Amino acid sequence: MASILQFIANGLVFSSIIVLGSIGLSLVYSIADFANFAHGDTMTIGAYGALVTFGLVGGVGGTFLGLPLGFYIALVVGMGLAAVVAVITHVFVYRPLSTTSIGLLITSIGVAFVYRAGLQAIFGTDFRNYDVPRSGPLPFIQDSLGIAVTARGLAIVVLAAILVAGTHALLQYTTLGRKMRAMADNPDLARVSGIRTKRVILATWVIGSALAAAGGVFLGLFSQIDPRIGFDLLLIIFAAVILGGIGSVYGAMLGGFLIGMIHELTPLLKDVGIPIGIQYAPAVAFVIMVVVLLARPRGIAGELT
Amino acid sequence: MSRVLDVQSVDSGYGDVQVLDDLSLHLDEGEIACLVGPNGAGKSTVLKTVFGMLEPWTGSVMLGGRNIGGMAPEEIVRIGVGYVPQTENVFGSLTIDENLRMGGVARGDDLDPVIEELYDRFPILTEKKKAKARTLSGGQRQVLAFARALVMEPDVLLIDEPSAGLAPNTAAEVFEDVQTVNELGTSILMVEQNAREGLGISDRGYVLDQGTVEFEGDADSLLDDPEVSELYLGGGTRH
Ligand SMILES: Nc1ncnc2c1ncn2[C@@H]1O[C@H](COP(=O)(O)OP(=O)(O)O)[C@@H](O)[C@H]1O
Ligand SMILES: [Mg+2]
Repeated sequence: MASILQFIANGLVFSSIIVLGSIGLSLVYSIADFANFAHGDTMTIGAYGALVTFGLVGGVGGTFLGLPLGFYIALVVGMGLAAVVAVITHVFVYRPLSTTSIGLLITSIGVAFVYRAGLQAIFGTDFRNYDVPRSGPLPFIQDSLGIAVTARGLAIVVLAAILVAGTHALLQYTTLGRKMRAMADNPDLARVSGIRTKRVILATWVIGSALAAAGGVFLGLFSQIDPRIGFDLLLIIFAAVILGGIGSVYGAMLGGFLIGMIHELTPLLKDVGIPIGIQYAPAVAFVIMVVVLLARPRGIAGELT
Repeated sequence: MSRVLDVQSVDSGYGDVQVLDDLSLHLDEGEIACLVGPNGAGKSTVLKTVFGMLEPWTGSVMLGGRNIGGMAPEEIVRIGVGYVPQTENVFGSLTIDENLRMGGVARGDDLDPVIEELYDRFPILTEKKKAKARTLSGGQRQVLAFARALVMEPDVLLIDEPSAGLAPNTAAEVFEDVQTVNELGTSILMVEQNAREGLGISDRGYVLDQGTVEFEGDADSLLDDPEVSELYLGGGTRH
């Protein structure tokens, strides 16, 4: 029992990261009408942006949720950097291209290579870590639930929940959010209504990339940073978005949560006589995605938006 | 009487496919003009070309003294023109209230007073404020689509087949709404499949066929014209 709880706790941390990646992919898909294969590498840019920043401000005093305050500055800088890079790419690469959606997709794969090559040229391929002191399991969780959860694990879940709640509030209760939903629903009618769609698309890139970057920063905090971390998650994130119902942000949140959980719970299959390890987790996640799509072709949230 | 809208010798279409051929029509201030004609004649294409969804290949679309041909729809909204498309004319996943707010994004001022006024005018919307637009019936949707365009208080309104798919009594209500809005000062260019009813509430009319104006004139004289009646109004005369 304690072991299942332990896997669920790990799953929550991983899910948090996948959810943050999924939201941006889904937003950009539904509003800018574009399957962005550079999204994973956008996460990586965020991770490195935060790494460099933390190197400079890591000493800033005080802690919050067990993490130094400098880490939060680094997080915000990483998110901002990823947003700036995404907007520049949109304005100078994607927007001027009048090509088909498959043309844009292939272009974004090229952009992904360029992002990765750039990071590799600057930072090399070595694994790196935020210089955040590692701490052991939190005693109050260990004592009450009998599982090991670190302060950084808990912080990732809490911060991701705050970002998801913020995204929800933005989408539901602000004019920008309503415009974004209107554009995802019916882009022609959005223009007919007077929405300046170019600006909303820019805002979508900013929000989607910043959230992805937060996911990248947390991923670096959860494990390690190297130039491939984001790219390695890209297909899992696509699976999450498609499972949830492509084009639906809330579906992406749900899909991200489920795929993250399935991924981390895979080792439990050996308890029911299916001996496969964590290295097969992506395959299991994809199999489950396909099974769900067979039953619900439009994903779990389907057209519900 | 001054022309608020003047479409002059426009060719237009989709990709390489030409639909409108040397088309001219106009809208006088304060009137309702009705565009009728068979399915596929190019009626919707006229409205899309006026509203910047399509760029005219040749000719001009004059609004006041200004050629708005090819101007983006989101900018045309800002100079006093509204458009109610024929289909997919509400945001189904947004609530009624949100649909109306989207109709006013280009207004600089507070939306609440004008939206409240529209709720007063269309009580059916008030009852369903918080419901998603996709839950509305056909007639209610048409009212919402119409109200969304009215949030901008346009000087000129383009409406594409307001009665399409509606039961006769619902259609009659929608036509009444169109007349009310016109009486409050909006000049209206309306497309109607239901030609007799459409011309019945209009001042002038155009009969469009294969992308060209075949007949034009006072709505009454078109209704009384035996040739128009025979070819485009399904024969018979008006009672
Ligand atoms: N989006 C489109 N792409 C290509 N052709 C279209 C499109 N919309 C309409 N058409 C064609 O343009 C012609 C006129 O259509 P339309 O203006 O919608 O006619 P109406 O509104 O009078 O029924 C038709 O032949 C139609 O098939
Ligand atoms: Mg039509």
